[in-house]
Amino acid sequence: MDKSGGRSVNGSEHWMAMEGGTDASPRDGGYTSRFVGIGASLPERRLSSEELMASTKHQTGIDLERLTGVRERRIAGEGEDSYTLALGAARDALAYADCAAEDLDVLIVSGISHYVGGLRWQLDPPLSVSLKEALGARRAISFDISNACAGMVTGVFILNDMIRQGRIRRGMVVSGEYISQLGVNAAREVRTVMDEQLASLTLGDAGAAAILERAPEGAPGIEVAGFTTLAEHSRLCLAFPAKIGPGVSMYSDARTIHDVGIEDTVPMLREALDQAGLEFDEIDYLIPHQTSTRAIKKGSEEFYARMGHAPKHVVVTVNEFGNTSSTSHFVAMWKYLREGRFAKDDRVMLLAIASGLEVGIVIFKVDQLVERYGHDH
Amino acid sequence: MGTIIEASATATATAHQRSMTPGALELADAAARACLERANRTAEELDLLINAGIYHDKILSEPAFASLIQEDIGANLGHPAVAGHGTFSFDVYNGACGLLTGIHLVDGMLASGTAELGMVVASDMDPEPGISQGFRFPGVGGAVLLSADDSRAGFTAFRFATFPEFAELFQSAVGWQEDARGGLAGHGRNILTVEIAESYAARVLECAEATAREFTAAQVLDLGEVDLLVATGSVPGFADALARRLSVSGERVAPLPDGLASAHTAAPAVALESERLAEASTVLFVSAGAGITVAAALYRA
Repeated sequence: MDKSGGRSVNGSEHWMAMEGGTDASPRDGGYTSRFVGIGASLPERRLSSEELMASTKHQTGIDLERLTGVRERRIAGEGEDSYTLALGAARDALAYADCAAEDLDVLIVSGISHYVGGLRWQLDPPLSVSLKEALGARRAISFDISNACAGMVTGVFILNDMIRQGRIRRGMVVSGEYISQLGVNAAREVRTVMDEQLASLTLGDAGAAAILERAPEGAPGIEVAGFTTLAEHSRLCLAFPAKIGPGVSMYSDARTIHDVGIEDTVPMLREALDQAGLEFDEIDYLIPHQTSTRAIKKGSEEFYARMGHAPKHVVVTVNEFGNTSSTSHFVAMWKYLREGRFAKDDRVMLLAIASGLEVGIVIFKVDQLVERYGHDH
Repeated sequence: MGTIIEASATATATAHQRSMTPGALELADAAARACLERANRTAEELDLLINAGIYHDKILSEPAFASLIQEDIGANLGHPAVAGHGTFSFDVYNGACGLLTGIHLVDGMLASGTAELGMVVASDMDPEPGISQGFRFPGVGGAVLLSADDSRAGFTAFRFATFPEFAELFQSAVGWQEDARGGLAGHGRNILTVEIAESYAARVLECAEATAREFTAAQVLDLGEVDLLVATGSVPGFADALARRLSVSGERVAPLPDGLASAHTAAPAVALESERLAEASTVLFVSAGAGITVAAALYRA
């Protein structure tokens, strides 16, 4: 990319807010942050797409599994909600990171859904207050953020900046998404494959957590993290309390989001890879937001064509977990770590494309993370 | 290098009434535009835009409210053909401490050089007047514009504390209520309910005082040095009561105007409208809200 004529009014050479790489964050402290624990919490209950579509009020004729690749998703059971899923994931991440909650300097809760005590959407206090207390993260600064399905990756961006500066040593970003009820509401209203609530039928419940800490000097970790919001597309997906029953309804122009997401993400990919001094084929695993197998396949092919290179692997877990919103990248990472799919020197790219339109990219080396999951290859 | 406040601004429901009932978004947009205008800045210069408001139009949960504000004020809406400079926006929820929390996050990204200019916007408005229960915050939006300045100290320290033992004293949530006459469903509707216990006002003061004393002690700051106390707690009389507890003269308190005494997330920006920031050399910010959560910050001119 020719950056010579692209300096902005504030002197930045990057379209994205950028951390790391050749010239971003010029005043950071020179530290590197790394992931040391990825945790997840998945409800036991499973709901197949066949079962969900059998519950629709109208005869839709939609073969959801064929259309989206979502075979099944987990759904919260009795006593499970955003808070309990987040708490379970946070404890799981702490166990893998081999650290105590008291060691956390910052705790960020980053989910879209804020259900506590069933379908009760809590606005005040933030969920982070009770989560901090339950974990015993006595010293941690805590707050909630919300950034659609890019929420957890946004939390990583925030923690990465703090750790690179030396402001903190260790932080956690955690999310609990109790969103299967959007599918329940959509099932009552969806009539055709063009329905604005179709995407709600792909959603699944999950909690996920990631712990980042300052890496020892010279050790690998996050190489580049970048984010931007292309707000001309901010109103393509809107979610708010449902009119027809408990919970939320979400209305999205999924096709346009996909198209502009691909179109607008290509220059961001180039920028982030340039910043890291990498080509796309030097990424071993691309973990995109898990929307549908078809969207991931189509999007990846367009990226390869535009970029001239392809990452070695593209991670797909939407078939078994559905779209778990802000947790999706980390549920996928957790599954691959537990299954020993990553090698120590693998380089991973997290790619968040979310309502807003948010585009977030995090490139990191897996390194010591594999050993924490009992694998050494 | 310090993070300085370039400008702040507010927009109230009465002053910015383009529509019959302005929503939180309209108030946020108006405050953000006024803030940029006061600083003689354009929206295109923003690297970061954080929304800290909670009570949105329709209680929207997706996308981030900040992205809607970004679109409305025209801050780098799409990627141009050549490299340039975009805006990154997201929401922070930390109750009445959200605006200071957002300032803390902008401060970090200004210090690292990840951003050069950031704005924190907060607004609250009853999403369904006449239907919501217990909502008593005035409709107001506020914005604070922040940048790095090598010659000034600006924000030098922050402290955050939580008191979860008092979490039940201030609760707000949206939940389904069955009602035979209610809503489009004809049998009920989702309703916002805000419940603040009578004892909340006293407890939040105690928590704020304790945090402010710990903070100033850690900063080796004599409270007598405080020129301006910007204290907000969503409760009328909070700032004056906290000043008395901290033995800070009432003359040094940034006042909230009548009608905005119980402003919620935008309250610190409302207090800054007293325009006393420019004359003060040592400013103590204290915000307190549900949780109970307290945020404190020290700002030196």
